Amino acid sequence: MSEAEHEHSHDDDHGHGHHGSPWIQHHYDDARHQFDAGKLGIWFFLVQEVLFFSGLFVMYILYRAHHGEIYEYAHHYLAVKWGAINTGVLIASSLSAAWAVRCAQLNQRKGLILCIVITIVCAFGFLSIKYIEYSHKFHMGELWGKRFDPCATPNETPLLTKMKKCEGHVSSVVWDPNGGPDAIGGPKAGCLEKGDYDRDPKTPGIQAQCTVDEVQYADESRKSEKGRKELEACEMEKEANGEAHAKNAPCYILQINHNVCPAGPGAIEILKNESEERGNEWGVDVECNKAPAPVAAADPFAEAHEPVVLGSKLVAPPHVVTDEEEVEELESRPPPPHTNMFFSIYFAMTGLHGLHVLFGIFVFVWLLIRSIKGHFSEDYFGPVDYSALYWHLVDLIWIFLFPLLYLIH
Amino acid sequence: MSNAVTATADKPEPNFLEVTRGWKSWATTLDHKRIGIMYLVGILTALMLGGFFALVVRTELFFPGKTIVNQLWYNRAFTLHGAVMVFLVIVPGIPAALGNMILPIQLGAPDVAFPKLNLASFYLWCVGAACMLTSIAMGAIDTGWTFYTPYSLTTTAAVIPAVLGVFILGFSSIFTGLNFLVTVHKFRPQGMGWFQMPLNLWALYSTAVIQVLATPVLAITVLLLFVEHFMHIGIFDPNMGGDPVLFQHFFWFYSHPAVYIMIIPAMGVISELVSTFSRKHIFGYRFIAYSSISLALLSFLVWGHHLFVSGQSKLATMVFSALTFTVAIPSAIKVFNWVATLYKGDIRLETPMLYALSFILLFTIGGLTGLFLGILAIDVHLHDTYFVVAHFHYVMMGSTLVAFLGGLHYWWPKIIGKMYPEKLGQLCAIGVFVGFNLTFLPQFVMGARGMPRRYWDYDPEFTIFHQLSTIGAYILGISMFTQVVYFAISAKRGPKAPQNPWGATTLEWVAPTPPTLYNFPSPPEIPELYDYDDLVEDPEHGGFIRKPSTGPKKGGH
Repeated sequence: MSEAEHEHSHDDDHGHGHHGSPWIQHHYDDARHQFDAGKLGIWFFLVQEVLFFSGLFVMYILYRAHHGEIYEYAHHYLAVKWGAINTGVLIASSLSAAWAVRCAQLNQRKGLILCIVITIVCAFGFLSIKYIEYSHKFHMGELWGKRFDPCATPNETPLLTKMKKCEGHVSSVVWDPNGGPDAIGGPKAGCLEKGDYDRDPKTPGIQAQCTVDEVQYADESRKSEKGRKELEACEMEKEANGEAHAKNAPCYILQINHNVCPAGPGAIEILKNESEERGNEWGVDVECNKAPAPVAAADPFAEAHEPVVLGSKLVAPPHVVTDEEEVEELESRPPPPHTNMFFSIYFAMTGLHGLHVLFGIFVFVWLLIRSIKGHFSEDYFGPVDYSALYWHLVDLIWIFLFPLLYLIH
Repeated sequence: MSNAVTATADKPEPNFLEVTRGWKSWATTLDHKRIGIMYLVGILTALMLGGFFALVVRTELFFPGKTIVNQLWYNRAFTLHGAVMVFLVIVPGIPAALGNMILPIQLGAPDVAFPKLNLASFYLWCVGAACMLTSIAMGAIDTGWTFYTPYSLTTTAAVIPAVLGVFILGFSSIFTGLNFLVTVHKFRPQGMGWFQMPLNLWALYSTAVIQVLATPVLAITVLLLFVEHFMHIGIFDPNMGGDPVLFQHFFWFYSHPAVYIMIIPAMGVISELVSTFSRKHIFGYRFIAYSSISLALLSFLVWGHHLFVSGQSKLATMVFSALTFTVAIPSAIKVFNWVATLYKGDIRLETPMLYALSFILLFTIGGLTGLFLGILAIDVHLHDTYFVVAHFHYVMMGSTLVAFLGGLHYWWPKIIGKMYPEKLGQLCAIGVFVGFNLTFLPQFVMGARGMPRRYWDYDPEFTIFHQLSTIGAYILGISMFTQVVYFAISAKRGPKAPQNPWGATTLEWVAPTPPTLYNFPSPPEIPELYDYDDLVEDPEHGGFIRKPSTGPKKGGH
């Protein structure tokens, strides 16, 4: 295209009136010349658009390469269903936009108007669905950067709440990796009976609640000296109890990570998860020691301290996590540091794309008005063609965004 | 087209300045020449503003310690000098002002491909400039023109309007580039193939390629910075897991090509001037044309040399260092070809030629000192010193602005139809050359001795260099200001310009002076490019006229 010598003659007096369509501007030789120039122009514009978005894609790739765990963790919080529907909506609108060009070329005015209307309706549909997704995320506090606060709604249980700092909420886990190893309180020892953890989790004084991931069931190879003692105690109790526990139920050591309680745990409560499917999941209430360690700036890259052994517990073998439970499993994991970056990137990319859709609506409304006035014909359909090209690019960007953000694990 | 006019047989078509009158006809004009003139006025105003800030900086540095302004205002002054000069003056200078005036006429076209978009670009430039002024009014910015994060995120200065201004100016630049690309592709007349185009068009075309490909990346970068300020999304903020070095990568991915947005059109102007004022066919036409394109492409591969000390990986620095040296090849090709064109030429030292000769010298110094900075070990020593400041001023000011002034003197008679005062012009050209070197040569010495850039205070041992530099800056400032004044006066009272005052061969000199609304009353015959044999001086009207043709031309039509 670029090398094509444009053969146009200067024989006619340019700028002094053209025969044919009234839409040919004065400085073009003929309709063909104007159309070609416009087409080349819109292609350059699209190249510009691609580079405009490329910054965001580079950003996405870079953070993905460096912090893949964020994406792995957070992409579950995007609604794949809505994303897929939106993909369909946009593809349908692209089809109608392409069909509009054909209608214009064939002088089918009614078809042209219909196709443009369908495109506009689809664009509104896309934005409406985006609105549903966004408003849900606003409601849940799954937002960008500093606005990332999944505890925004105390009465609901947002997906990310359980592991995040949520003062005043049901789950209060202070993530502070700087809790010193010396600040260990007296962890409760021995096998814990059911009555010990039958307790209202909202009782004042409970400062930390954890689920199984922070209070680990240490496996054999990781147990410390204290753990070994605990294990022995547990095994003895297992024998003493006899029928009380299943024969094959192993004794696990309960440990607590330092970052749950900065000053070490004061009292420990074990909660049993009431869920039928996951009967082996245990929760632990940890009452932290009063004197908190000085809170330094959180350093997510600091190495984790050795866990503190709390005690031991006879439990059934770990449940194999199925696909259906993957999201549920996430709830029991702390979010990786800077999970907010995922939502920053998500909102930056989809937001800019959404603005392009919005701009596209204005363009197509303008086309609609002009097509109702009957401006377009086989001699003059450039604006329809260019707008459709723009619309295809907007569609194409979404085709990339959808798998990158919603689908890739 | 409401302002379309019809030529009548008996009366010559009025020129574009006279065809309609009143400010409204200018504000709504779609004529590329008028838009170019409006750009020119805006750019010269911004030039004086940026020059004012430069003089504030230089005056402050006349003595160590406080001379006239405190540290905060010093930071603001050098930031505003940089931001205004880069975004408002040098980037749009040659393409938007001179390019708009000249490009369609050199093509023999009636206008650019998208006149409305062209006017929109101009208004975007105005809005962007207004944002910059708003920033100044709100207390100015102190981040340096590069807006490096994280400082630009934490400073209380008015970064938001400035960043918004850069974003809008970016789109002004993109649309101008897009317009020029399509115009060059679709409006070349029959008989003008790619290699019959004047070299100025090659340069403007290469520039437009960079404008369309690089500027969007700047746009998204400053947009993210803008959003960062409003919404704290954290992309560039290390406190939230963002990456401040990513900002530097994005910024220089644009801003390094932007250096070529500044220099390539300057090279195009110089190619025209050197040939015309040597009365000799340009030497190595194809090499100069190809070197413009290759510079445009190479410009995208070297941004990492701004990040040698920013925590880039060693491998990346070595690759970027090696690639940086390749830029020297097309640059040197151009310089050698210009010098070869001068050789045995009939050199005429009129004002534009004085600027062209200045350009060749200053660009050579600027380019060669760039090689110092491309060497990794030396760059660690010279990074963020006055050596860097002197280097890029030799390229951006000593080359681009000097070429802009040369081009302005060259095309002024064609567009305005009036001659500027030649003797005063020559004097000012010498003033610019002397003042410029006096300003920046001492800065090379200072930088090599370790004077860091952007410092408000300095050790007494640097005093003499700073004082020489400041004196040079004033000579430069006076020379520039005088030119703005005499251009303004000559537009009113200058003697009438002949059709071809320099005896140049490109198409704009075939057009009437000043051109008519659609540039040519009738489709022009394309003259043989850079063939000066047929052009003889016209004792009657001044300027040159073409000898009555003896036999058919050799051209390809």
